[in-house]
Amino acid sequence: MNRDHSFPPENRPAPSGISRRQFLKASAAVGGGLLLGFRLPFAGDEAEAAEASGFAPNAFIRIGRDGKIVLVMPYVEMGQGTYTSIPMLIAEELEVDLKQVQLEHAPANEKLYANPLLGVQATGNSNAARGAWRQMREAGAAAKTMLIAAAAKRWNVDPASCRAQHGVVLHEATKRSAKYGDLSAEAARVPVPEKVALKRPEDFKLVGTPAKRLDTPAKINGTAIYGIDVRPPGVKFATLAQSPVFGGRVKSVDDKAAKAVKGVRQIVQLDDAVAVADTWGLRRRVSQL
Amino acid sequence: MIYKLKINGTTRSVDVDSDTPLLWVLRDVLGMTGTKFGCGLALCGACTVHIDGHATRSCITQVSSVGAKAVTTIEAVGKTPQGKAVQQAWLELDVPQCGYCQSGQIMSASALLATNPHPTDADIDSAMSGNICRCGTYIRIREGIKRAAQSNG
Repeated sequence: MNRDHSFPPENRPAPSGISRRQFLKASAAVGGGLLLGFRLPFAGDEAEAAEASGFAPNAFIRIGRDGKIVLVMPYVEMGQGTYTSIPMLIAEELEVDLKQVQLEHAPANEKLYANPLLGVQATGNSNAARGAWRQMREAGAAAKTMLIAAAAKRWNVDPASCRAQHGVVLHEATKRSAKYGDLSAEAARVPVPEKVALKRPEDFKLVGTPAKRLDTPAKINGTAIYGIDVRPPGVKFATLAQSPVFGGRVKSVDDKAAKAVKGVRQIVQLDDAVAVADTWGLRRRVSQL
Repeated sequence: MIYKLKINGTTRSVDVDSDTPLLWVLRDVLGMTGTKFGCGLALCGACTVHIDGHATRSCITQVSSVGAKAVTTIEAVGKTPQGKAVQQAWLELDVPQCGYCQSGQIMSASALLATNPHPTDADIDSAMSGNICRCGTYIRIREGIKRAAQSNG
């Protein structure tokens, strides 16, 4: 990473205010953990519209009582590394190790997950890290601040005398420590901080360092889910008969013979192709041993 | 027609037409989506599985031709010594980018190492030439195969 390009003036690390527009909201997650949603700034009018409609989280941090830290990824991993760079931004400020986080892909929801620089739910133009750079860190920092506040309250000490590292809050003076998972239920009841301090670049442990890709394990054992692997309920497959020449149009279709084939459900005529809702897969009847 | 297939050590019974490609059986009938559809014409290697240990393009392999032979897919290749070594090397070197072709790459690489434990660059290029990677991870694929070969002694 080229540090000269990493810190545009507006992103200089410093105690930063979280404006109403970027507000964070904590609520009790299922299972009593800490759920922290945050949103990215929208462009222009959409920002105002989103603001008027209230809370519109764009991504989530979820910390369970079992210590599981789930990050919801608003950008599609296509080999460009967004499933590693975005978690790095959050983990840097949250003070967790990359090996401690699990990732989930965000559902389709343009209002919640629009790319801030494109205004639509899309990934491209090399702008995910750029657009999410500050907000992801603020989300991580706010969560950390709340976890520290929860620990300080439990121990009846000054939050400033506590610090966090590797998913644990420490109070060194009394040699006490608590894992994030143990603190998550209490942290969910802590008011969202008005301001959070972001780390200075010289204090970064993750950002600017090489990292092992977090998406590799799923891509070497067949568990990574691609678009073609998704099976929405009731989905049917179709085979396309396309024009052999570019710009060709369908003149007429005689679908009598095709309709007679067992398993064919529907034949759809398009401008430039005919779709037959039938594949080998559709003709299957599975019996399991 | 009912076919009994030995897939990853388990016998699975499927009722499909005889000309159904093995890839369709795996993905659409059995829901095993780790094996990928790429071209459907055995040109890209994304659908590679092992049939009795041999790297085979499942997209053009009719289910009726499989018979009693053992089918191994990406979901279970890690249970073989070569598959395990290849997956470990892939992890260490972060071989995949988008990863779509990598199931096929790993199946071809592990089949190569099973018959040729210490392949030369020429051996690797020859064995892997049918597996296309649009991200262009070929350099790391070759390094991964060499690392896996070393780890297997």
